[in-house]
Amino acid sequence: MSNAYLPLPMRVARIAAEDPARSLRTFDLVFEDPADRDAFRYLPGQFCEMSVLGRGESPFGIASSPTEEGFLRFTVNRTGSVTAEIHDLREGDRVGLRGPLGNWYPVDLFRGGDVVIIGGGFAFTTLRSLLVYLLAHREDYRTITVVYGARNPGLLLYKEELEAWAGLGDPGLRLHLTIDRPADGWVGTTGFVPGVTKGLAPSPDGAHAVVCGPPVMIKFTLPVLAGLGFPDDRIFTSLERRMKCGIGKCGRCNIGPRYVCIDGPVFSMAELRENPEPV
Amino acid sequence: MSTAVRLDATSLDRFLRVLADAREVFAPVAATDGRVEFARVRGGEGVDSSRMLTGLSPKGLFFPEAEVLFRYDRGGILPVESPGGPIAVWGMRGCDARGLALLDRVFGSAFQKPGDERFEDPYWKSRYDRATIFGTVCPAPLSTCFCNWFGGSPSSTAGIDVQATDLGEAWLLSPVTAKGAELLMTVDDLLSPATARDVEASREIALRAQSALPPPPSLEGLEDLLTGVFHEPAWEGIAAPCVQCGACTFSCPTCHCFDIQDEDRNGRGRRIRAWDSCMFGIFTREASGHNPRALSTQRVRQRVMHKYSYFPGNYGEMLCTGCGRCVSVCPVGFDIRNVLLELVSGAEGEGR
Repeated sequence: MSNAYLPLPMRVARIAAEDPARSLRTFDLVFEDPADRDAFRYLPGQFCEMSVLGRGESPFGIASSPTEEGFLRFTVNRTGSVTAEIHDLREGDRVGLRGPLGNWYPVDLFRGGDVVIIGGGFAFTTLRSLLVYLLAHREDYRTITVVYGARNPGLLLYKEELEAWAGLGDPGLRLHLTIDRPADGWVGTTGFVPGVTKGLAPSPDGAHAVVCGPPVMIKFTLPVLAGLGFPDDRIFTSLERRMKCGIGKCGRCNIGPRYVCIDGPVFSMAELRENPEPV
Repeated sequence: MSTAVRLDATSLDRFLRVLADAREVFAPVAATDGRVEFARVRGGEGVDSSRMLTGLSPKGLFFPEAEVLFRYDRGGILPVESPGGPIAVWGMRGCDARGLALLDRVFGSAFQKPGDERFEDPYWKSRYDRATIFGTVCPAPLSTCFCNWFGGSPSSTAGIDVQATDLGEAWLLSPVTAKGAELLMTVDDLLSPATARDVEASREIALRAQSALPPPPSLEGLEDLLTGVFHEPAWEGIAAPCVQCGACTFSCPTCHCFDIQDEDRNGRGRRIRAWDSCMFGIFTREASGHNPRALSTQRVRQRVMHKYSYFPGNYGEMLCTGCGRCVSVCPVGFDIRNVLLELVSGAEGEGR
């Protein structure tokens, strides 16, 4: 019998600081066992439990895309004891990983239509996975609109890649970065994500939207999307909860009858509105 | 299935000793302080089959209060010990056996992903699948018993392999499953055919116990009704007396929330899982400080909703066997039966 509680042995291949304060770091992990690597099949939106033996484990969305082979990427915000321990890791150190866990963004459902990706702050991790995946299957999708905002330029994740995507010359990729208020050296958009989205007014025809970010951003973005004509069943979000087991047993991540770890973390707004327990 | 057999009361010790020769045997055992709990036995000594309920449910035999998931050292994770031999449990009440069968829905099988073995719990399965369970018909229900609210009865056989009835001078043993019948065959020399009188006596005991239970209230549609009252202010009054001690969840045969923690000493250690409780404020608190169920009212509601609305929605059965332990252990007299009745009558009063 396989044992879903046993972490796979991984090695830290690369560490990158994402923000000037170094509270956000990105870790590329490689599999110690090639058999684990070959068996690990995932899609954008899924998560893993990363553990440092002796300190415990915490859930993190996978920031890499399955179209990028050989490594798994995670961006970790230093918040508690496990994330502090992860931040102290060095390249070459070993960590444990359980996954892939949970469901994924319905990329098959999106196929043939437009995709609107709306992200805020360090919630861009699984959105990066989604964007990389969509770009790797570019012919399957029409216009891809990305609205990504942060408090200040330093807090935008994956800055080099953001530049690279902007420089792709892909007319169907509309990438809009925004920061909350003007900052030195920032020549891009300023303003909050909901307002920027409203100004861009992406068409809802045959389109799906994915919204991830701070609760306040989601709260004010949803009415914008509704106003543009996006129905609830074509707006998706990814939820975070304290998840221990990740396999629907330990009882703490439920919202109403649904477990974020196995029924989510990706939910449509229609699913969430049906739920008795508000999110 | 083979027919009922008879075990002389004086042979119980020998019966348990023979069973214990080839397997781990657990039975209700009286401690010096008067408490009765399930414990490992090697014979009949100390076994108290007459106590209506043990203090804790027997779930801990299969889902221990704390258990090691794996050990590790500086070289990484050490191989997980393989499961041991067979297990037998003597003296389990129907409510508790049903509780284990409900837990087996959570731990023993795939959840919403049929055939996905990853979602089976190997620790639970390695013990529960090895167990043969002897049930004991309840002779006289307690005032806190309400198994008949949710389809149970003093002689319920759900989750039981052999049903035992205490006839005084003898035990009537009725195999329920093939596994139970097979185990009885291995101790054949201690058993004799049951007489028609034995069978009749056992039937009378079960009927008497059944009639001693007050008739259950109508709880039809409870699952949806609770969803309908989710936002009612009544929950605040219901939760107000709760002191968040968690005694209800720890004594419950079906509560199964757990935590996973590492214990480390100089790079060697173990990852353990331990019972946790949805009644505790820290249970859902995230590192950021955000807590989806920060209020006592939200947590009490969660416990009620999980047992009587969410779980039946996901699995088709209530996550409660009416054992009544949560009622008897609660330091502030929280009675889940009254809570359900209050919510049901409140909802009906509002014409739902």
